Amino acid sequence: MQDPTAHGAAGSDPTGPDPTGSDPYGQGAFGSTAPVSAGFALPLETDPRSKPAKPRGAGPLLSARGIQKSYAIGERKIEILHGVDLDLAHGESVALVGASGAGKSTLLHVLGLLDRPSAGTVELGGVDTWKLSPTQRSALRNGQIGFVFQFYHLLPELTAIENVLLPAMISNSTAGFRRRRAGLRQRATEMLEAFGLGQRLKHRPGQLSGGERQRVAIARALFNDPPLIIADEPTGNLDTQTGEDVLELLFAEHRRLGFSLLMVTHDERVASRCSRALEMVDGRLLTRR
Amino acid sequence: MYRWFLSWRYLVTRRTNFIGITGITVAVGALIMILSIMTGFLVEARAMLRGGLSDVIVTPALFAGQGVPRTPHPALEVIRSDDRVKAATARLTWWGLLAGAGSSAARSAAILNDSQADGLNAVQLIGVDIGTRERASQFGVRNFLTLMGFDWTPPRLQGEFETTELLADLQREPHPWRRGAPVANPYLPFQAPPGFMRAGRQLGFVIVGEQLFTTLGLKQGGELKVLTVVPDPVSGELVTNDRDYIVAGTFRSGENDVDIGRIYMDRLELWDLLGRQHTYSEILIRLNDFDRDGSAVQHDLVRELGERGLIVPVDHDPHTAASQVRTWEDFRQVMLSAIENERVLLGIMLSLILVVASFTIFAILTMMVTEKRRDIGILTAVGASPRGLLFTFLTIGFWNALLGTGFGALFGILGATYINEIESELSSLLGIEIFNRNVYIFDTIPAVLDPVAIIAIVAGAFSVTLLFAAIPAWRAARLDPIVALRYE
Repeated sequence: MQDPTAHGAAGSDPTGPDPTGSDPYGQGAFGSTAPVSAGFALPLETDPRSKPAKPRGAGPLLSARGIQKSYAIGERKIEILHGVDLDLAHGESVALVGASGAGKSTLLHVLGLLDRPSAGTVELGGVDTWKLSPTQRSALRNGQIGFVFQFYHLLPELTAIENVLLPAMISNSTAGFRRRRAGLRQRATEMLEAFGLGQRLKHRPGQLSGGERQRVAIARALFNDPPLIIADEPTGNLDTQTGEDVLELLFAEHRRLGFSLLMVTHDERVASRCSRALEMVDGRLLTRR
Repeated sequence: MYRWFLSWRYLVTRRTNFIGITGITVAVGALIMILSIMTGFLVEARAMLRGGLSDVIVTPALFAGQGVPRTPHPALEVIRSDDRVKAATARLTWWGLLAGAGSSAARSAAILNDSQADGLNAVQLIGVDIGTRERASQFGVRNFLTLMGFDWTPPRLQGEFETTELLADLQREPHPWRRGAPVANPYLPFQAPPGFMRAGRQLGFVIVGEQLFTTLGLKQGGELKVLTVVPDPVSGELVTNDRDYIVAGTFRSGENDVDIGRIYMDRLELWDLLGRQHTYSEILIRLNDFDRDGSAVQHDLVRELGERGLIVPVDHDPHTAASQVRTWEDFRQVMLSAIENERVLLGIMLSLILVVASFTIFAILTMMVTEKRRDIGILTAVGASPRGLLFTFLTIGFWNALLGTGFGALFGILGATYINEIESELSSLLGIEIFNRNVYIFDTIPAVLDPVAIIAIVAGAFSVTLLFAAIPAWRAARLDPIVALRYE
């Protein structure tokens, strides 16, 4: 069901073998990485088998222009976003901070193609996303965007590895998935092992701790190798140490794989780790640095 | 790929689904089982109701018509010349009063004075052609020729045995709760029973329905009195006629009305009792293939026999003409229609149970869509399309329908096949007789599996379940992902 234009924007089949050889979770990518303090393995950039970040092309990856969003509650119209403009370059990490109710999550949902703006355009890889059909937009989301939520949002009926494989299940037909199953499972296993979850592959989310769930969620977001990761307060539901470990993992992957990262956070320390920080004030976007 | 995978996972992890599947299973199984039993009843009842009847019955309007022959031979000749006809024979029927207990005088007194008493019965007197003499001589000749080393196939007789089920009724085992006394030789029924000693009087022999035999307290070889009322051929006034007969034995058709309301005797014997007027009242015809030729033969005979003046012709009185040639189904139409109606009615009622079961699926899936709102939001975020979500939840309905109808069909087929074993087990377990063999006459519960009906039930149940699953599936597809993601 994958729309070809969606893959076209990404430039590669997210589940197929990467012809450039830059598949970040290829055989043995994280097999022998040393454990860090959190007790899970990170793909160290010094690891000779880890792949360098791949260039994602010139121009902004994500370009939002004049985004407005309003809701009608009875006869009252509530304006959430007042003409937001945003460009996100390839490989860039941007923190979005702001008070509660400022419109951060709404903007994230609009940029993540989950919510249609009342006005304005969202271009992803040069494609005007809201002009696509719902099926095409779903395919674009599947191949180009990875989500990491505050509450992990894993499917409780699936095991950790099945949750990670979910994006590939959606992008592949039954026959296609069956053909690639062994390779895909191998890759998911290696990812989870690298994230310190080698012993948790067949555990359901209910059997995992918060930090483990978030690492599974990160693995799921990265599995189709999307150029854009949207994270909505990924440490908001974790204790300080676990949150730090999860952030360490996310930024290490960002540095290694070169995806663009757009992250909503309340935490200034987290924001400071991003290359750019924007502040949302009453539905308007201000540049902090 | 995820649609099949997720739908199956949701199915097996949500136990409520199994309530829905069980509902469909029970509904489909019961529908198949009940319809199979009703079809069995219909088939058995058809066979039983047909028992005493031939395929086609020609009843010339003898007493109303003018110039209709008094002997059956011209009509029999025309009928037997038809290739579609297997056998045809004449019958003489009349009504009489019957008394069995006591002496001859006491029986007469019972008939005349005690018309309300239990010992008196109005019965149908049926004079039949068995071909006793021909049969006996054929038997002798064949035995002789076999002894001499020749193989001889006697010409086929065309009598009562060849046109109705009387022979089978004579051969049938007596009902365990009644006093039956089968004749010694069913092929020669109007013969003296074993050990019978003639007391000087030359009386004819009759065969009595098993239930009548029991009710009247008759004895094999005993006497009974028959009283009839017939018009005097000269004056036209009604005269009574009575005669004593010897009970040669009993027959059992399994049909209550027949077994309590009929006695058989030789046609010429009855002709004699009725004052030697009309020799027959109807002609019974057995066809080679009734289902194929029944209506055509009926139509042709009305025309042919009418043209030859053997029955009242169509141009004389179309209504009378048509009513003279009837098929066995015309006689039993009311009863057959009643069973058929009952079958349809049960089918409709059970289909409603199926709809209720489908509502369960609807309720379960609606509940699941509500419970799984957050999952729907997650799936949307990961890239599932609205169409994919619709298909996922519809597939859950598909699994419910597939498993429910599959198990239901299995349960129904096995239930219908082993219904008697199940009934026997349940009866002994509960200590009651679930299937009263005396009421239903059948010794076993009849069940006929009709593949077309089973396919129709399964396909119908499958479609209805899927239809009910479509509504919550459609709701899942239309769910706002943002609202779904915020759902806790």
